[in-house]
Amino acid sequence: MSAELHARLSSRLEASRTGDGFGPRAGLPPEPEPTALAAIALDDEDARAWLLDHQRADGGFALVVGTVVNDSATGLAALALPPGDAREQALDHLASHRAPSMPYQPLVPYDPDTRGWGWTPDTFGWVEPTARALAALRALRPTETALIADGLAVLADRECADGGWNYGTRAVFGDDMPAFGQTTAAALIGVQHADPALATRGATALRRLWREERGGLTLAMAVAALRLLVDPDAGEAETALGEALDGGDLDDDPVALGWATIATGPGLDALRGSA
Amino acid sequence: MTHGPMDRRTFLKRSARVGAGAAAVGLAAGLGAGPLLRRLERPWDVAPFPPPGTPPVAVVRAASYEVDLESVILDGLLAVGADLRGRSVLLKPNLVEYDPGTVVNTDPRVVAATVLAVRRLGARTVVVGEGPGHRRDTAYVLRSSRLLEALDAVDAPFVDLNTAAAVRVPLQSHFTDLRELCLPEPVTSADVVVSMPKMKTHHWAGATLSLKNCFGCVPGRVYGWPKNVLHWAGLEDAIVDVAAAVRSGLQVVDGIVGMEGNGPIDGTPIASGLLVFGTDPVATDVTAAALMGLDPGRIGYLHDASRFLGQGDRERIRQVGEDPERSAVSFAVLPQFEGLRVGPGR
Repeated sequence: MSAELHARLSSRLEASRTGDGFGPRAGLPPEPEPTALAAIALDDEDARAWLLDHQRADGGFALVVGTVVNDSATGLAALALPPGDAREQALDHLASHRAPSMPYQPLVPYDPDTRGWGWTPDTFGWVEPTARALAALRALRPTETALIADGLAVLADRECADGGWNYGTRAVFGDDMPAFGQTTAAALIGVQHADPALATRGATALRRLWREERGGLTLAMAVAALRLLVDPDAGEAETALGEALDGGDLDDDPVALGWATIATGPGLDALRGSA
Repeated sequence: MTHGPMDRRTFLKRSARVGAGAAAVGLAAGLGAGPLLRRLERPWDVAPFPPPGTPPVAVVRAASYEVDLESVILDGLLAVGADLRGRSVLLKPNLVEYDPGTVVNTDPRVVAATVLAVRRLGARTVVVGEGPGHRRDTAYVLRSSRLLEALDAVDAPFVDLNTAAAVRVPLQSHFTDLRELCLPEPVTSADVVVSMPKMKTHHWAGATLSLKNCFGCVPGRVYGWPKNVLHWAGLEDAIVDVAAAVRSGLQVVDGIVGMEGNGPIDGTPIASGLLVFGTDPVATDVTAAALMGLDPGRIGYLHDASRFLGQGDRERIRQVGEDPERSAVSFAVLPQFEGLRVGPGR
């Protein structure tokens, strides 16, 4: 782990702040996802205060537009909050806002006995929001064994034929779909050591994918995942992340900077699962 | 695990809500129950949608991406009377994800050539924007697809619509219950949004063209990756509502090499050697669908859009350039979409 890289990333992330929180781009109004990531990455009390001010009555953290409520940042916010009622309410929200069960259908196959979490409640469970919820529950409420088992089962079910994950569709109309680096890293952040065989296959895929897909967000999340798995590739991936930073791939991107800062610093400990 | 039988309507309805989403209506049997019921309704505000008139659509041949695309595209834009003098222009290509060896995206050479052609027509500013629907790492998609390289060569800026500043826009059509959309300011502030889709089949909606391409305008940070909540709102209904909010004023459809079969991601390249230009997205898509060998009237969202958003009557579309009838290239479709096809198969 490079302290110098972490310091540079922290500085860049700090510079993207908007008031107490962080937006999707520097200077834009704060939103839950980048603010939660920054709160973890920088151990930032102002960002936590923004989160507390914007927690919804149902315990979730959401972007709301019309009838669309995207509460997928709730898991990250829970990881960012200190122990207390707000964090417990966020975890309660995760427990009560899983994706619905869907009947089996063969064109886009998935296990109908699994649910996971969606980007929006009442829709379909996808890899990244499921992984976030899984990471939060494993780290903060490991007694939720049924929910954790469901999250792991979703990720196991959606694993691509060549290993790793895309957004959550492993096959369509009989064609296997490829895995992506960023979503593979996201899934592994959720899985960690809870399912060793799944994690091993995912890490194998990620070692290939991060080398092929050297975008800033992909590398940031790949370093986080590889470090959580104590994978020997973590150092090389971190070097690539530094190069991506120098090349401008993380410019003005608080989400990517947030993950990169978490991946290279002590914030990663907040994501370590105990279940 | 329950794998019980379900009737066709139930299957289609449920299929619409999962995976990358689904069309559910307008498949092999033509229009389904939704559009039929809506014929009794008028789910749009009248004032913002004047009668479409007789818009021009130009079909132009381009044998490959190696030809002088700037001239070809300039000719196509002139043929449909594109007036861009002093206007701010957003080019919105299809860049949903990147997969080497496929033709998922609008070819970067078409995008770059359009930048140059639009400038020659006197545009005040030209920006290229997209909110990739399957990948969050836009920097990776931009570079790997070579769009970044192509835009650098013509000194054109790119804006990630998934993370750009955005505003809430009340919907003026109401096929879904979304009520309002989050739209990026580069979309709402542009004088002209140029929808630049790849000409592709779509395994849920039949075809993806300039109307469906507008999905890339809504930000993933609200609607997710994929933007599945739009599918849950009813894919074809959402296509109409989003397109009616974006109001593309110009279209350039890349059919030089399109995608047939299991599109929009995993289909097969098909060299049709065509570009389609228009100023009315419904007329453009109706023409492009016909070029693909599909009956536009059987594509549910095109049927709905033609009721208010643009001209869907082919008799009232002024066809210029190549004769669409003679230029048609029958795209292969999945078995469940055979009912969309017109004429004999290839």
